[in-house]
Amino acid sequence: MSYSDKVIDHYNNPRNVGSMDKGSSEVGTGLVGAPECGDVMKLQIKVNPQTSIIEDAKFKTFGCGSAIASSSLATEWVKGKTVEEALAIKNTEIVKELSLPPVKIHCSVLAEDAIRAAIHDWKKKQETAKPVAVAAQ
Amino acid sequence: MHMNDQFDTGMVVLANSGPTSACWSCGEMRAAHFCTSCGKVQPPAPADHFSFFGLPRKLDLDVARLERDFYELSRKLHPDLHGVTDTREQEWSLEQTSKLNDAYRTLKDPIGRTRYLLSLEGVELEEQSKAATEKARSTGQMKQQVVPPDLLEDVFELNMQLEELRVQKKMGEDDPALLEEIGKQKLALEAKQDVLLSELKGYWEEWDSAAEIDDSGRTRVRDKMVDLLNRRNYIRNLVRDVNKVLEM
Ligand code: FES
Repeated sequence: MSYSDKVIDHYNNPRNVGSMDKGSSEVGTGLVGAPECGDVMKLQIKVNPQTSIIEDAKFKTFGCGSAIASSSLATEWVKGKTVEEALAIKNTEIVKELSLPPVKIHCSVLAEDAIRAAIHDWKKKQETAKPVAVAAQ
Repeated sequence: MHMNDQFDTGMVVLANSGPTSACWSCGEMRAAHFCTSCGKVQPPAPADHFSFFGLPRKLDLDVARLERDFYELSRKLHPDLHGVTDTREQEWSLEQTSKLNDAYRTLKDPIGRTRYLLSLEGVELEEQSKAATEKARSTGQMKQQVVPPDLLEDVFELNMQLEELRVQKKMGEDDPALLEEIGKQKLALEAKQDVLLSELKGYWEEWDSAAEIDDSGRTRVRDKMVDLLNRRNYIRNLVRDVNKVLEM
């Protein structure tokens, strides 16, 4: 199977590889897996609590080239978006952008799952953080 | 297993071949692969891998027996033996041989056999994960991962360590402590694979006797097998990757 140029580009020069402090209240972490192939992907976002804008994103993927490219692209796309906007990102857009063949669709699904999981984690932290902040006053 | 007994004469009657199908050559009753009367190879009948071997759809099958049947059929169906005078027969023996190989390869492997049976039951492992994503989309909730989150954490951690070791090895200065740690993990993973396999065999028994249990019982065993196969994919990848790095 041959990869598209965009996949190869992301694969060779992945953007935003790395990790952020999992414990920070501004950071949301999503760890997801693709059971069909056994690959795993971690995607983290750093969100401005005032504006809900995603200011930074990092990923680390152990998987195929398409999964690496999908998560690399996902970090680029979520940056600068609000969490609500980021939630609207669909794997089909990733498929289109990277020209993924049908057998690699699940790799893009993994990236979508990861975005949603990271946002969910961040939201959960906001809910639990609030009462504590009130109590501290 | 009783149907297998007919193999000794090379005559396997397919459950679904029906009493009316006749041999193309002599017009007598045909069997699955050969005519029982004149011995000519028959065009392949539509059959799943189990019925190709005349086996019931059961998971706990006798692999030694399967292997014997495979070699015997392989020999008897060999294209060189057939179709000296008839090119159709030659073609059919080729087709039968390729079906035979597919069926054997799938059924002899415990995982392949389980996956195959599940697919006959209409369960594709891929579908399960897809359905979970769709549910997450429509509810706006986080996707329910089909394996336990702890497993994902472990997989991720070990992958990080492997990456470190890979870099160290490339530079020719591997840290003995890390090497030892990964060696231990490798043993643990292999042990886990064994545990999963014996767990799976337990489900086979439940499944094979499922005719006596109700639908919800069948579904329950089926789901347990799907769950196990999903977990196993991660373990399989890790074992593969650990070995790759250790062999560097
Ligand atoms: S093949 Fe596993 S994520 Fe692409």
